[in-house]
Amino acid sequence: MQTPLHKVKGMGSSHSGTGHFWHERVSSVALIPLTLWFGYAVLGLVNASEVTAISFLAHPVNAILMAAFVIITLYHIKLGMQVIIDDYVHAAGAKIALLLLVRFAVIATGAACLFALLRIASL
Amino acid sequence: MADNPQAQARPARPLSPHLTIYHWAPTMLVSITHRVTGVGLSVGMLVLAWWLVAISNGPDGYQGFYNLVGSPIGLLAMFGFTWALAFHTLNGIRHLAFDLGYGFKKETARLSALLVIGLSLLVAAAIFALVWTGHAGYLG
Amino acid sequence: MVEFTLPKNSKVKKGKVWSETSGKKPKRSKDFKVYRYDPSTGENPQVDVYTVDLDSCGPMVLDALIKIKNEIDPTLSFRRSCREGICGSCAMNVGGTNTLACTKAITDISGAVAVYPLPHMPVVKDLVPDLTNFYAQHASVKPYLQTTSAEPESEWKQSPEERAKLDGLYECILCACCSTSCPSYWWNSERYLGPAALLQSYRWLVDTRDEAVGERLDDLEDPFSLYRCHTIMNCANTCPKGLNPAEAIGEIKQMMVKRKA
Repeated sequence: MQTPLHKVKGMGSSHSGTGHFWHERVSSVALIPLTLWFGYAVLGLVNASEVTAISFLAHPVNAILMAAFVIITLYHIKLGMQVIIDDYVHAAGAKIALLLLVRFAVIATGAACLFALLRIASL
Repeated sequence: MADNPQAQARPARPLSPHLTIYHWAPTMLVSITHRVTGVGLSVGMLVLAWWLVAISNGPDGYQGFYNLVGSPIGLLAMFGFTWALAFHTLNGIRHLAFDLGYGFKKETARLSALLVIGLSLLVAAAIFALVWTGHAGYLG
Repeated sequence: MVEFTLPKNSKVKKGKVWSETSGKKPKRSKDFKVYRYDPSTGENPQVDVYTVDLDSCGPMVLDALIKIKNEIDPTLSFRRSCREGICGSCAMNVGGTNTLACTKAITDISGAVAVYPLPHMPVVKDLVPDLTNFYAQHASVKPYLQTTSAEPESEWKQSPEERAKLDGLYECILCACCSTSCPSYWWNSERYLGPAALLQSYRWLVDTRDEAVGERLDDLEDPFSLYRCHTIMNCANTCPKGLNPAEAIGEIKQMMVKRKA
């Protein structure tokens, strides 16, 4: 038999959470200009030839902006997915599995993007 | 509790209805849409990765990617991603305003929610209009 | 995974249609579709329909419920006390939003009036939810003045401006309309404190006499206790006292960031 207050207090405060909150906001602020640039770039490359796409993305400024967009977006995705998982998945096993899956997927996607950008730059 | 004779006989209390009966205000709609577009854009991130890898792989992979994106289903998906990105960005700005302490009045929050819905559709439609009228592809 | 649908024992069945007992058809009437659950039968909950003659009924939804209980079906259970919006007892879901039945006008609702208990709560009987967890959450934020300075001889002084900061916070009557309107609270009511408890927490966080601000923030510094709030705004939209828990929670988040900067 637990008292209601025992249940509510649980194991107490984890003394964390603000860091996650803050990083989510910082990444979202950074993504506002980067998203505008991304929209400009993608719209400009609609129906473009391969040569055009390569010469655009091989330019250092564009390569760096694309890399920044990819990295910060993936970081934002990782933080956002954590919120969704925390909200909806309560079973410890499933929760850890999903959190790991998100982390690995984000790292793998980031690695693929950055490697592709480096390759494009060297083409 | 233990000496209550009714304690054992009582069936488990039912849970009162929630999602199915609650009135959907624009604010609530926009909130869940923010989440759904966020998940959708995460999938979009995979498409972006695919695009970059396709370009880096040379002509064959690049053409394959473009054929798929240019198909009716591909175009529909692209419109979806465009709208989702517009929505998530605009509603993200709305949330940043909340975080700074602005826009909490009931009527303001409702209007900003409606504004985000309207503007996001407008932006997505405008971008596709640019593509259809041949104003896109200016980097080529 | 969180259950988005109702468990088996909670699925709502079609209930009884109660016809008017007086015989003659009323000139102005309104149908009330009321959630019913009887713990003594163990049957699933159901929705009963009552037709109320509005010409012999008070203007508020609570008046109609009392009329139903007095004249049609004495087994209907609901909490009520002050009938003027200050006790918070008759909080329930009327026409899709949480409110106090005593301050909600019947004519504000078009069509039949759907009356349910506060959402996503264990139901004791009919419109009576079990609020044990909700009250414990309120208690957990220590809703009282905490000081370590020597007790002053007369009182803890506060300027009118400082006192004004408590306006829009102290008026909360703990009816639970806001917390039970919040989807985030629905899915995490065991770990998320919910808008009502957090509004009360903020009421003490901004009280200039309180000397436990740091400890209060320490207790809230948690992904679940505080940060399940995603500013959905259902709490502010539904509060029958016109308060804004979402804004208060936003202020707490700002305090959290400020003390780290």
